[in-house]
This record gives sequence, structure tokens and C-alpha cells, in this order.
Amino acid sequence: MKVKILRQVHPGSKPYWEGFIYDGPTDISVAGMLDHLNYNDDIINDKGKATGRIGWECSCLQGVCGACAMVINGVPSLACETFLKDQGKDEITIRPLRKFPVIHDLVVDRSAIHENLKKTDIYIGEWQQGQDRDLDHQYLAAKCLKCGLCLEVCPNYADGRNFYGAVFANDCYIVSARNEKKSESIKNSYGEHFAGGCSKSLACVDVCPMKIPTLASMAKLNKKM
Amino acid sequence: MNGVLVIGSGISGMSAAIRCAELGLRVTLVSPFPSERSQSVMAAGGINAVREGNGEGDTVSSHIEDTLKGGAYLAGEKEVRGLCEGSGAILEYLESVGTVFSVDENGKTAKRAFGGQSHRRTYYCGASTGKQIVSALIMEVRRFEAKGLIERRLWSCFYYALIADGTCHGALIFDEVSGKLEALYADAVIMATGGQNALFGKTTGSTQCDGYTQGKLFLQGVRLKNLEFIQYHPTTLETGQKRMLISEAARGEGGRLYYEDQGRRVYFMEEKYGNNGNLMTRDVVSREIFLAKKDVYLDVSFLGKEVIKKRIPEIMELCAKYRGIDITKEPIPVAPSVHFFMGGFAVDSFHETNIRNLFAVGECASIYHGANRLGGNSLLAAVYGGFTAAQEIAGRTGEYKHPGFDGYLDRENDLLAKKGKTASRFPVAYIRDMLAKTMQNDLGIVRDGQRLAGGIKDVDYLLETAEKIRYDSSVMPYFNYSLMGILTLARAVLTCADFRKESRGAHFRSDFPETRDGYAKPTIISYEGGKYLAGLEKEDGG
Ligand SMILES: Cc1cc2nc3c(=O)[nH]c(=O)nc-3n(C[C@H](O)[C@H](O)[C@H](O)COP(=O)(O)OP(=O)(O)OC[C@H]3O[C@@H](n4cnc5c(N)ncnc54)[C@H](O)[C@@H]3O)c2cc1C
Ligand code: FES
Repeated sequence: MKVKILRQVHPGSKPYWEGFIYDGPTDISVAGMLDHLNYNDDIINDKGKATGRIGWECSCLQGVCGACAMVINGVPSLACETFLKDQGKDEITIRPLRKFPVIHDLVVDRSAIHENLKKTDIYIGEWQQGQDRDLDHQYLAAKCLKCGLCLEVCPNYADGRNFYGAVFANDCYIVSARNEKKSESIKNSYGEHFAGGCSKSLACVDVCPMKIPTLASMAKLNKKM
Repeated sequence: MNGVLVIGSGISGMSAAIRCAELGLRVTLVSPFPSERSQSVMAAGGINAVREGNGEGDTVSSHIEDTLKGGAYLAGEKEVRGLCEGSGAILEYLESVGTVFSVDENGKTAKRAFGGQSHRRTYYCGASTGKQIVSALIMEVRRFEAKGLIERRLWSCFYYALIADGTCHGALIFDEVSGKLEALYADAVIMATGGQNALFGKTTGSTQCDGYTQGKLFLQGVRLKNLEFIQYHPTTLETGQKRMLISEAARGEGGRLYYEDQGRRVYFMEEKYGNNGNLMTRDVVSREIFLAKKDVYLDVSFLGKEVIKKRIPEIMELCAKYRGIDITKEPIPVAPSVHFFMGGFAVDSFHETNIRNLFAVGECASIYHGANRLGGNSLLAAVYGGFTAAQEIAGRTGEYKHPGFDGYLDRENDLLAKKGKTASRFPVAYIRDMLAKTMQNDLGIVRDGQRLAGGIKDVDYLLETAEKIRYDSSVMPYFNYSLMGILTLARAVLTCADFRKESRGAHFRSDFPETRDGYAKPTIISYEGGKYLAGLEKEDGG
């Protein structure tokens, strides 16, 4: 199997494509494959030349931590639950998420997600049971991995300077649902950094590995506007 | 005031940081990646607590007794009492900061039964308790970040502690973005770096818990405790990338363990332990599977699709996704895997190590679980430990002055740079792989003196090799420099297992299968003059 990876040595350095030939087992995930390529004696590219080991991020290796988000054959996905056998072809192209600065190879800096939530004071404070008793919805929203896949596919999210994306909307929903008092005060941030900029492509809903019902979060928050 | 440095941002690290901030202390919260990536998010089952008016006759005393008994009476009664007495308030706290707990039909927080416990006291959040707690704590940390009391430092890894005259003054931190070491001074340092998975390669846990901090600090004079006690989970599924946990729920719903012998299914747990055999404690089931020396399967198919879909949907999804197994039709091939570490930093009841102002909390510390941990007690201990350490630090007064460590910084920066500047590409991953094989073979579920001695010899060889190699410069520097610490910890674990010539809790030796009175105390190991010295804990904790 041919593997093409968009690589970058350092944060500011020039990205470049490098090819590899993968001849390991095919019933594994892309995460397993990256491990396999890295674990060889010397890591050799498709030109037969020794090269540096491929940098990528992982932690849970079972789709619950969001570390391994990357773009695989054009689809933003979690590498640890994307399988070679489902790729439908004998070639696989991998690149880091485009909406975040690259640290090294497939490792990106997603701190903008947290910084935006911090800037806008998105925290519960003290739980106050309010009108929203939809615990299933709150539970699903709190499962957000902050992996960034929703931002990667969003046509409106650029670099997180003004529009903060679905990840922001869902955290706004949790806060408004779990602290009735605060739900008033976050309306403005929600309007400014989400509602005003969202064109409802809803690509974020399809790509979410946790299947968070972002549309329902939006509907509830919009009602308060 | 230099503030408090918390290393690790899982549930224990965040709990410590939050309580420090509540008490007005300034905190720097260090971890390579955000809290969403910590192992804490993987905890599924739940968190133990005894709340007043639980309506089921559960009491704090029975929680204490269950915990002590589960740990084969190696944990301190006083500490366990504190933990259990604090559990109700901790549950209320977690609820108050917005954790989405599951509720029963009356809208009350729901509980489930967990192995080894006399009452139902495990509160849970669907199938993702750890994740829901992490999400709530992240918001709470954010509240204090906004107030300027907590500062998160990402891309930062622990390098070593700044220790002089038995007192800790901060730590050297490696910044993966700048590629440089930096000294962070602090009035107190709290280690919250989780378990030791990297020693064993594939486990059920996170790749970020590697044991480096325990190994490195051990070399700096910090005592470690009970390292030989490692909990195996009996039913895990092998996949290309890790060992996936198949929760006890599968057996709780009626799942049966068997192996095949001459075309016949042998339900070995039921044959040996009766109808409830499949639900024996984790260590017993793990040992029996190991001793069967055959491929073991867990069958739930007879429960029928409806029941499986309703009661254990996560297990159905996991097996289908990672192995293409339809558990409504086929059995699940299972084997035990390393799952939890009872051992770690030796701490007193305030979570302080033998080095003044150096604390440890969560899974990296060894205090409440004795020789074996009860499911649901580690999340509780992570929060409780974090709170306890913070409270103690906030209560201390006095002028903190640190001696100059500047020379250290330059020296270590040079050393790191030299090790990295090389064309040689010796993959650290190779040595880690060899280590994992040694540990899996020689420090398995059933141990004996001969194998342990072999393991020690092998790890000594790896240590010698690692000392000489240069780093593969294309790998994240932390992955490289952490190797020595990881190997050191492995050597200490083997030494403790060799020292304890009895069987107790999760430590089983075929050459000493009985529990012996002479060993009814925790193991303490220290590093002195290049030697690994293991012994039983003395009255003063030393
Ligand atoms: C699959 C699974 C299921 C579980 N289920 C349950 C359950 O149901 N109930 C229960 O009570 N327990 C459960 N546990 C155990 C429980 O999850 C852990 O004991 C607990 O989460 C540990 O929390 P912690 O804060 O100590 O560490 P972790 O959450 O592991 O956090 C460690 C932190 O330290 C950081 N770190 C590591 N090394 C360094 C370094 N060198 N420098 C800087 N930072 C570093 C990491 O990045 C991370 O932020 C389970 C464990 C697993 C694996
Ligand atoms: S490694 Fe955690 S989601 Fe892939």
C-alpha cells in the first residue's frame, strides 16, 4: 500500500510530501499503520532513502480522547478508528488538520479552541438545575473531544479569531443548560462568535466522532436569543 | 510566593489545581497535551461514594472495610478512612460543578454494583464517567484561569525536580515547541502524572502514562511504594493498536468464559467456582485464564441480540469496530491485560513524598489501594488526593527561598542538545518494545524468583545500552529522554516483586503461593549509591 504524508519538521518550516510503502497487516487502523511504519529498523521512504520518524499524537487509541485527528484521504478523521480496509483503494494520503498551526508532521496546536472558550468565560460555575432537563443532550454535549474535526470541515471557521465554530456552540449549550443564571450572560458571546457567522452547512454534525447533536444545541440557544 | 506547580492535568491534577486556586494560591498546570487527552477520560464504570440517606444501608464503615479488604490490608486505615469519609462531599462537589451523572427513574443520581463491594455505591455517568468528570473540571479550571489563578502550560513535559537539601523548589520543564528546558520555581510541586503503562507496551490505558516521572524522581531520592502490585483486567480484546477493555458488564449480564478442549467447551470458571464463577474478582479470573494456557473466549451470544443491544451496546460496538466481531453471533477472544497500578510515589496522609514540598496525587501515588484496588475507588482517590494535597499546601506558611539552580539549567540544556545532535537514528521505540516483552514475560500474572531474576538482568542490560545511545533526532525529545526513567522504574518494579516472597492481592508467586504474616506491610524502595533497596515500610513511613 502506498502512503503519502504531508510533513513538516518545525512550526515555521516548509511542509513537504513524502511517500512510504506500507506492507504490514491491513486489518488495522491508520494509527496502527503509523506505528508500524515508525517501528521499522530504519524508516525508509518510497525512494529507498532513510528519513525521520513520522510525528503524530495519540493517547487513548480508542476514539475517546481526540488526540489523533488528521485528514485521511481527504476526510477529517480520528486515525485510531479509521481502518485501512475501509479506504477502498490501495493508496492513502494523510495530512495534518489545516485550520491549526503545525507543530511537527501531523501534530497540530489546537489551543485556539480552549483560548476562545476562556476568553468568553464559558464555564458553568455552580450547577443550577434550570428548565432544560434533557440530561441525554447535556451528556452528549459534554462528550466533546475538542479534537477540532468540526472546525476543520466548517466553511466559516478560519483561524478562530472571530467565529468559534460548533465546538464553542456545544459548550455554550452545556453552560446555559447547567447554570440557568448564566444562560443570559453567554447569549452575547454565542451570538457574536457563533450564531452570527454560522451558515448551517452542518458538515460539523456529520464529522463529529461523538455524534453530538449540535443542531439541537443551536436550536435551544437560538430560542433564548 | 512562587506558587504551586502541578504536573499532569488529568482528574487528580485538575482537582489539586482547583482546590489550590480556591484557597487563593497561584497554580501553573503543566502537561504536554490538554486534559481531554488524559487517561482519566477513559474511565467508564464509575466513582464510589457513600452518601447520607442512600436508602440501602450502606455506611462509610463498610466502604472502609471493603477498601481495606480489597487491598489485602496493606493500605493505612487512617488514610482509607479519610478517603471514604470524604466521598459523599466529593460526589456533591462533582455534581455542583456540573458533572452530568446518570439518574434513576425518580431523578436521583443512579448507582451500580461493582465487584468486591458489599453495597451498590458506584455512581456513574452513562458509559463515560471519567470523560464527564473531566469535562466539568475543565470548565472549573477555566473559571480560575479567567481569574488569573491557574495558568495552563501545554507542550510541556516534566524533566526533573529542583531538589536541594531534601526540599523541592520547582522543576525543570521541557518545552516541545521551543525545544528547550526551562526552570519553573514553586513553593510546592504536585505530581499528577498517572500510571506506568509504557513499561508493558500495550495495556488498556493511555500511551501518555509512561512512568517516567516516577523513575526519574526515584533516581533523585524519592521513595516509591508497592510497585509489585499491578492489577490485570481479565477480559481484554487484542487489537492492532492496543488492548481494549471488555467491561465486567459483559459477565454481569451473564457472559460465560470458556476454552475449547478436544472440540468441547470447558466453562472453567463455573467448573471450579460454581455458577457465579465468571464473576470472581479480577485477580482470580485473570490467574485462571493465565493458568488455562489455552485461547479463552467470552460468550454472550446466547443472550440474544435484543438484550445485548440494550444492556451492553458499547461492547457490541467496540468488538464490531475494532475486530469485526459480531458478539450476537460469535464469542469474544479475551486475555488479561495490565490495567491499573497500585504502586507509585510513597506519600504520607497529606500526599507529601519524603522530599519536602514535593507531593503526589492520583494514580502515580500509592496510598489507598494497598495490594489491589476496588473498581470505582481510583477516580475517588484522584479527586480526594488532589484536594488533600492542596489543603495541606495552603495551610503552610513561611518564606520560601530557593537556592540558585541556574547552573543546572545550562548543563542539562547542553546535555540534551548533545544527545540529540547526531546522525544515528537509534529508535528508542525498540528498547521500549524489548522492555515491554521482558515485563510481560517476567512480571506477568504468575511470577517466580527465577523469571524475576532473568527480568532484572535483561533490564540492567537495557539500562546499560540506553546510557550509551544517542537520540533519534526526528522523534519528539521527550520520547527520547524519558527512556532512562522508564527503564529505571521497570528495574524498581522487578526488584519489589522479587523482594516480596509471598502472594498477596494482585501479586502472585508460584514459588511462594501463600500469604505470609511477615510481609503484612507495604514495600518501600529507594535508590542509594546506585543500588535499588527494597524493604518493608517502617513505622515512620521510611
Ligand atoms: C480503560 C480504563 C477504565 C477505567 N475505569 C475506571 C473506573 O470506572 N473507575 C475508576 O475509579 N477508575 C477507572 N480507571 C482508572 C482511572 O481512570 C485512573 O486511575 C485515573 O483516571 C487516574 O487519573 P490521574 O489524574 O491520576 O492521571 P491521568 O488521567 O492519567 O493523567 C495524567 C496526566 O499527566 C500527564 N503527564 C504524564 N507524564 C507527564 C510528564 N512527564 N510531564 C508532564 N505531564 C505528564 C498526562 O499528559 C496527563 O495530563 C480506568 C482506567 C482505564 C485505563
Ligand atoms: S488516540 Fe484518542 S482518539 Fe485516537
